[in-house]
Amino acid sequence: MQRYLGTKSAKMALTVAAAILLVAIIALLGYRNNYGPKAFAQWTMDGIRGGSIYALVGLGFVIIHSVTGVINFAQGEFVMLGAMLCASIFELDLPLPPAVKLVVAIVASVIIVTLVGILLERGAIYPARGAGVVTLIIITIGATIAIRATALIIWGTRAKIVPAFTNLHQNDLIFRPFGLTLGAQSLWIWGTVALVLCALLYFFERTIMGKALRACAVNRRAAELMGINPSRMSLLSFAMAAALGAIGGVVFGPVIRPQYDMGLVFGLKGFVAAIMAGMVSPLGAVLGGLITGVAENVGAGVTGLYGYKDLIAFVILILVLLLRPQGLIGGEERGVEQS
Amino acid sequence: MSEEKGWAKHSNIVGIVAFATLVVALGLVETFQPFGFRFRDFTGGMVTFDTLIRIGILTIVVVGLNLLMGYAGQISLGQAAFYGVGAYVSAIMSTLASRHEVLPGISDAWWWPWLAILVAMLVTGAFAYAIGRPILRLRGNYLAMATLGLGVVMYTIFREGGGITGGHDGLAGIPRLSIGESFAFWPVERYYWLVWAAAFAVIIIGLNVINSRVGRGLRAIHTSELAANTMGVDTDKYRVQVLVLSAMMASLAGSLYAHFQAIVSPGPFGFVASVELVCMSAVGGMASVWGAALGVSFFFVIKEVLRARMHQLLRGAGGEHELIAYGIILVLVMIFVPEGLSFGGIKALSWLRNLAVFRRGDGREIEARTGQAG
Amino acid sequence: MKKIALAALTIFALLAVTISACGTPAPPPTPTSPPAAAPTPVAEATPIPEPVIGTTYKIGFAPAVTGGGSFLGVPERNVAEIIQASLDEAGGVTGPDGVIHEVELIVGDTESNPDVAASLARRYIDEDEVVALVMGSLTPISLAISAVAMEAEVPYVSMASAGVIVKNPDTGEVYHWVFKSPQGNLEVAQWQVERLTAMGAEKVCYMYENTGYGKDCFNNSSAQLTAAGFENVFEGSFERTDSEFPQVPGIEAAGCDVVIIGAIPPGAANAHVAIRTALPELPIMHGHGVCVADFITVGGEPMEGAEMPCSAVIIAEDVPADDPQKEVFMGFKSAYEEYTGEPVSTFGGHGWDALYWVVEALETLPEGLSLAEQRSAIRDYIETNIVDWPGTAGIFTLSPEDHAGLDYTSFTWFIVEDQKFVPFPQEDW
Repeated sequence: MQRYLGTKSAKMALTVAAAILLVAIIALLGYRNNYGPKAFAQWTMDGIRGGSIYALVGLGFVIIHSVTGVINFAQGEFVMLGAMLCASIFELDLPLPPAVKLVVAIVASVIIVTLVGILLERGAIYPARGAGVVTLIIITIGATIAIRATALIIWGTRAKIVPAFTNLHQNDLIFRPFGLTLGAQSLWIWGTVALVLCALLYFFERTIMGKALRACAVNRRAAELMGINPSRMSLLSFAMAAALGAIGGVVFGPVIRPQYDMGLVFGLKGFVAAIMAGMVSPLGAVLGGLITGVAENVGAGVTGLYGYKDLIAFVILILVLLLRPQGLIGGEERGVEQS
Repeated sequence: MSEEKGWAKHSNIVGIVAFATLVVALGLVETFQPFGFRFRDFTGGMVTFDTLIRIGILTIVVVGLNLLMGYAGQISLGQAAFYGVGAYVSAIMSTLASRHEVLPGISDAWWWPWLAILVAMLVTGAFAYAIGRPILRLRGNYLAMATLGLGVVMYTIFREGGGITGGHDGLAGIPRLSIGESFAFWPVERYYWLVWAAAFAVIIIGLNVINSRVGRGLRAIHTSELAANTMGVDTDKYRVQVLVLSAMMASLAGSLYAHFQAIVSPGPFGFVASVELVCMSAVGGMASVWGAALGVSFFFVIKEVLRARMHQLLRGAGGEHELIAYGIILVLVMIFVPEGLSFGGIKALSWLRNLAVFRRGDGREIEARTGQAG
Repeated sequence: MKKIALAALTIFALLAVTISACGTPAPPPTPTSPPAAAPTPVAEATPIPEPVIGTTYKIGFAPAVTGGGSFLGVPERNVAEIIQASLDEAGGVTGPDGVIHEVELIVGDTESNPDVAASLARRYIDEDEVVALVMGSLTPISLAISAVAMEAEVPYVSMASAGVIVKNPDTGEVYHWVFKSPQGNLEVAQWQVERLTAMGAEKVCYMYENTGYGKDCFNNSSAQLTAAGFENVFEGSFERTDSEFPQVPGIEAAGCDVVIIGAIPPGAANAHVAIRTALPELPIMHGHGVCVADFITVGGEPMEGAEMPCSAVIIAEDVPADDPQKEVFMGFKSAYEEYTGEPVSTFGGHGWDALYWVVEALETLPEGLSLAEQRSAIRDYIETNIVDWPGTAGIFTLSPEDHAGLDYTSFTWFIVEDQKFVPFPQEDW
């Protein structure tokens, strides 16, 4: 029986059957609780927004992991730092019109967070580069603790305000298409994700540096032999992931009112997204993030089990792991041996 | 499989004997207080008996984790789930009489909590077996993620459990352990002996596993699963066995914790707790059984030292600054001693020995071997 | 290569330390007027020619500075620093026999973790030999500490709000050694019943943050409101860090007349904004966890019209001069804002009240008592002598049956108008 279930076609059939069952359950629940299509549309839309930040965090995970093999637990903290720095810089009394000040704040915070990422890589990862997976994970955990405590000292426990990009005001501009509630910031967020994804795909496909990174991801030793410097690639991957996290934090800031301890949750969910991508595919990370966001939102909304929201994300994850361990997109079949 | 020479081979035994001596000595000092000495005089009040008991409890969990991660090579980011199940089962069963008026007369008898401990271990073991089979087919990062997910799922269940688990505030009023009506394992000084007796029992069991057929099979799997499979080692079976054993150890620790704290709430069993356990395991030395005690001790002692001394280094320092220092120390330890303090210690000792030998002008080549201790 | 690592880490460490040193508030300016509720630490005329210094009293004080409770813990720690400074300036407390005792507050951090809290409590009791404990910003932490305090027979004042901390919910037994200083959620719910009755609402939707506090808010509110005849049509929990609120379509579909949110900022503000944005006309009420200026500034314009019960300390200047709490309010508010430069925090007030109970009790202790006698005397004093005692959270009356001491009259009902907390008296409902 075990072996039969393992065949590809059986897995496919199982997945499809499960999907159909899921849709049926959701529809039934929606009908029972009087949730019309408007509610589902709202949930899906909000889920895509929430999933966008998971996607950006997941992208960071994927970039670092595919090049260096490290699972960077500090990824969520990059998001937090980006948002908090942007808010702080915007609050400064600079003789600039607000729009310009916002741009300056965004650029400055992304740069600073990138520097933090570089510092992390050089200071903590590089010296331990030969060590095992668990060692490196723990190093990133130690860094996370230190970063979060530093943020607590600098900013205290109060939430900061990042102005919405559209009206440069604390409260976003709201559209109401078809009776749904759509914040203008959501458009900025989706635009950013799309832009980032395109930029990354272009980078990986068309530029030398990107191809070098991919080479490192595929086979580090061979890349080294071809003249690519893996330590520089490692540095680049951390810098990119930090910048991505910061961008995510900045564009998501107006939605969430950043606080010093918001990093943990985003790091965790972003990690889920990355796993759904097999830890190797940027497109898979984005897809994984969006699916996680939507599933969480729709699942919690339609069942009313709001306290179990985290559970839904992880149950989906476990199912994906069991049925398709190499991720939704990309990643070769991880077979028996894992070096 | 590397052949250890000299120190390394017996490191487990040496370490354990040394640690046991320390534990017994400290306990005796506190119990009998010779010349009016109290335990606090040795450490300037930095480490308390309470801390030592917590170290003992977590050592039990981490021994199991070391077997799983160090010897079998399975990453587990959800070990706190098993720890929690043990604690909650013990708590629920022990408070049946006081909270729900179930089985009065039986469920508040002195032997009931002991029975609860056994039941908890069985439940946790069965649970580990049930989820072990599907999950342990995964490898590396994927396994880590699945165990993480498991941890989150259990934590959510603990938290949302309402009437059964007490929700956010948890279950209070857990009785102390006692034998017969008169001899209670309380106050703290007596509980210390119970906890450490359990800890050493678990360590000895761990050593036995390592030196047994199962242990050799595990190490074979860790080195090369393909080779092990080829040699006829039933990798799946051994993996699951180790998981079940580590889960039962964690459950025992959880029960001891419940009776110590007298209240269980979901907080100490979440993702952060699982991650801390992995850190303790790695810092102590994943592939070493007595490294568990070392790793756990290191964490607690560092936290206590920081708490006691941080404000002398930096005026106005508070909990935040302690955390920063703690994070930095963690990073430094993993950079400089990636194989763990137990092996690092051995390496240091061997290195010293080398120094002595070369000074003697001895031409013999000494190899300082580290790696998996026997 | 390891040298580079060492250098980089040293730089990072130095950076962190420097930043944190800049972040540490300057040494506290001594508060100008001691609060009225605290008796003057030094007696007017000492009958003894030269002052006799007695034993130092130690109080164990540990809020949740890091972790999930830091929003409550940091203001509480600020209060401890303010009070320590004022005690140091006065030289300590003077007993009835003229002996002066220094008072030392041993400040720690429970890290929002009940294990650390219990450990810390035991340490304070055994190693530091404190005479009283003032700890625990959150409920599960307070419960863990109270187990330790009850066993060691040390008076313990909790800074968390749930009623179960001082009284066993099943047996009604009051815990002999445990007190608490904040208002409870039961009193909040009683106000909500009155307000909803005046509003003519029938169906109620509940939102609460998924923590002990939020759950307790929900339990109390729904119990009181359902008993008063209101219909519970929706309940949804959310996390503090949630960005999306799938509960909103549910609230819409349920068709309720009012939403009651039980949370602290910023989660409470996030939820409020999400609901207000989708349903502009629906009235929204809160519990007493949002009585800080932060709540309004974080939410912005959509916060207009939010209603909640708060202690009047947040509008201390506007309290009439004949109100018995006026002096306490002004003393606390000015001391806090001067020290931290931030608006007053009601959470800090809970620490204020708790510490002054203990300090007042210390002033009645003669020299020469044993530690156990001191602890017992403090406990007895707090239980019997805190009667009609004006504090920041209300006027307390403790008794052997009531270790919390407040009822719902300690609150004033507020509404947010023009981005400020404005009292909303019952006549205007």
